[in-house]
Amino acid sequence: MKRFALAGNPNCGKTTLFNSLTGSTAHVGNWPGVTVDKREGVYKKGAEPISIVDLPGIYSLSPYTPEEVVSRNYILDEKPDCVINIVDVTNLERNLYLTTQIMEMDVPVVIALNMMDILEKQGDRINAKELEKRLNIPVVEISALKNTGMDELMKVALATCKKERKGVTVLEHTELSHLIGDVRIALQGQEVANPLFHAIKLIENDEIEIAMHPQTVKMVEEFKNTFTNDLFGTDFEALVADARYRHITKNYSPLLTKKAKGIKLTSSDKADRILTNKWLAIPIFLVILFSMFHLTFSENFLFLSGILNKDWVSLAGTHFEGLFGSGEGIAAPGVVLFNLMDIITATLSGWIGEGVANLTSTEWILNLVNDGILAGLCAVLSFVPQIIFLLLLLSILEDTGYMARVAFILDKIFRKFGVSGRAFIPMIMGFGCSVPAMINTRTLADERERILTIRTIPFFTCGAKLPILAAVTGAIAMAFNVANVDLITYALYVIGMATAVITILVMRGTTQRGEIAPFIMELPTYHMPSFKALMIHLWDKTKHYIKKVFTVILASTIIVWFLSNFRWNWTIIEAKETMNESILASIGQFMQPIFTPLGFGSQLGSLGWVFAVAAILGLIAKENVIAGFLTLSSVILAMMAVNPDILVNAGVLSEEVLAELNALIESGEFGEDGYEVVAMIAATGIEIPGLISFIVFNMTTIPCFAAVATARGELKKGTAKWTILFWILTSYIVSMATYCILTWWWTAFIFVALMTLVICIIRLYNKKHPIAKRG
Amino acid sequence: MNPIDVLIIIGCVAIVVGVIVTSIINKKKGKTSCGCDCAHCSGCANKTKTEEQTNK
Amino acid sequence: MKRLSDFLVGEVGIVKKVNGERMIRRRLFDMGITPGAEIYMRKKAPLGDPIEITIRGYELTLRNMEAKCIEMEGNN
Repeated sequence: MKRFALAGNPNCGKTTLFNSLTGSTAHVGNWPGVTVDKREGVYKKGAEPISIVDLPGIYSLSPYTPEEVVSRNYILDEKPDCVINIVDVTNLERNLYLTTQIMEMDVPVVIALNMMDILEKQGDRINAKELEKRLNIPVVEISALKNTGMDELMKVALATCKKERKGVTVLEHTELSHLIGDVRIALQGQEVANPLFHAIKLIENDEIEIAMHPQTVKMVEEFKNTFTNDLFGTDFEALVADARYRHITKNYSPLLTKKAKGIKLTSSDKADRILTNKWLAIPIFLVILFSMFHLTFSENFLFLSGILNKDWVSLAGTHFEGLFGSGEGIAAPGVVLFNLMDIITATLSGWIGEGVANLTSTEWILNLVNDGILAGLCAVLSFVPQIIFLLLLLSILEDTGYMARVAFILDKIFRKFGVSGRAFIPMIMGFGCSVPAMINTRTLADERERILTIRTIPFFTCGAKLPILAAVTGAIAMAFNVANVDLITYALYVIGMATAVITILVMRGTTQRGEIAPFIMELPTYHMPSFKALMIHLWDKTKHYIKKVFTVILASTIIVWFLSNFRWNWTIIEAKETMNESILASIGQFMQPIFTPLGFGSQLGSLGWVFAVAAILGLIAKENVIAGFLTLSSVILAMMAVNPDILVNAGVLSEEVLAELNALIESGEFGEDGYEVVAMIAATGIEIPGLISFIVFNMTTIPCFAAVATARGELKKGTAKWTILFWILTSYIVSMATYCILTWWWTAFIFVALMTLVICIIRLYNKKHPIAKRG
Repeated sequence: MNPIDVLIIIGCVAIVVGVIVTSIINKKKGKTSCGCDCAHCSGCANKTKTEEQTNK
Repeated sequence: MKRLSDFLVGEVGIVKKVNGERMIRRRLFDMGITPGAEIYMRKKAPLGDPIEITIRGYELTLRNMEAKCIEMEGNN
């Protein structure tokens, strides 16, 4: 099978073309650096199937970041049958700069002039035939987005790949031509493949090249000594780059005829004027971030509670009671989605429960189905639409081109902390899922910056942690009659981000000292997000969550149920006995003291180990925290119904809530309305500070298996171990501080003082021991 | 014991064993435990490819 | 000697020379900042740094620190 590689500048539409050609649904976004690794697909519409390889975007063949090396090595080492060089016509000169370098290799090349639709819309024209003649490379006009010119492109590429091609350079008629010729002949003598390409890179002092041909370097240096230039002296790098661009502006740029002369204001520019306005930019960013969470979490959407008719909103008396919110206010779209799904899963699980009850009367099997499977499963399933909704909002941010602007706006602030604005893009992506966010750090050129970013990404609460936040704050609202719990949710997101900032500051001062990487980034034009691409992406994510729920999470809840209902001697624990004799209890009780300083350890009642178990379960997948939680609390609630004595710590609840809980237990209609968690609070005696500290711990501790594996893959061997230790330490300290401050407010002063002291010591020490400057 | 009970127990055991076994197999194949089914994420784009190559 | 970092918003100028550390210079060249290229200073970020320029028909952002490496022709 023939292999064609897609190469081109970042954000020029390679992945869109890849998707069009192969029918894949790889993710596209509107900022440079979405694709960080090569991926393969198959084009099937032609005479023969052709393998298509999508490469990360590159500006030149002298790589700068880890992901750019992938592209260069692929073209050089894996020798594709043809390179399809995608050129964004709206940005011709810089795109052709890469073309001039690809041309130098002995590989068949076809140029795909992309974004023809946008060019036509602007009223500009390009003489493609003439460009083809001057470059001596086939040129095909396409629009990857509008799906035009695809078959033509593949036909031309197929014809081209059959002919061998020798590298040519645009530097041929410059003063460098002799030098290049000499080095090329020398390399040819050594039987190096692509001699012209390597010769020019050697002359350019390319670091990879110098390491590859150490013997030839000496010779090149000798050749170079005989050469001088008035403008650049012996600055060959500048000389080559300049010659390339000079050739492009002279020979290729005139082929593009622009309708309007000068700089005109497009709608993208107008949007940019507001979004990156001197005074408005930062407030707008904060508002966007806040609205994102407000839309997802708020129980009092747009703060309309005062205006709306309470009875109408709550749909009281119908099956859909509470769908659009309670009398307290209307719910935001994310919460409505959750409520809807919650009603659906509750109804379904009710039916399944009844169905099973009709089939069997073995009590422990019923318990297994109701508490072990349905409770945990429904708890997580109910949150899927809400998670997907948050991901939708994040995707819109990515697709419009705003992400790159955020990096631009916040670079100065982030530099103060120790990373560049570019590092903030993967951090925001972390609100969705840590795994792709960590992989995306490959676009960061600086190794230290990558380490810092990968370590702090989990503090940007990911979608899978959303249920922990929502369910536990929901339980707080229910058990302690707290209003506006979404404020707690926002605060928790802020705590996560603050943790990231503080830890970056500390690490930059201690283990990761060094200069901040330069920040040179292209800002893409804004455009409307593609509805189709968004839907494909969300469908993908939904599938992923559903699959996870029915595999990993289902298996975990079954195990949890089994361990919490059986003794070490494999006998089942009867409902009137206590769960404390179970296998899980003895494991949990063993770990319980570790969490005492965090507020959910030994100070809780005899059932307090459930929190320790839930936290440990989160290491597999963060959804497991809530699934495990619900499984265990269902067991507790079921026990309570038989044996009210376990309510030993009921003191933390108000009379009202306690009465409701008792009424519920007496009526036997538990398993509805989230009273399981209330029962658990009653049974363990945990209070608000402990619950919040529990959320904070889960937010900041070691992320799920998948994220840990990714971090290990992305980091160098030695760093990965320290990274895990770092997560444990950070989560422990942050949740301890949260618990202490919420319980005894005055401890805030101690923590602030300690933090200031630590930062001062680091600063002072670093002043006395400055780092050696990079050359 | 009711046959339904037996069925439910077998089902549960099958799920647990299945998940554990697939995760071990995936780990041996060098895949991450994330399932590699997000097109969004390029984490597995490379991994699945190397796997194909070794199979050939 | 005038540098890009001295430019005011709205100013246009021609690049004369690019200095600076190897990797940074390499990147600036690759992005099209070569002698003779025209740069339009589009705007500064809300906090004064980084800056946004138009070069060869597209928008690029870089810090004052990097802009200091770019020497411009004496142009008004």
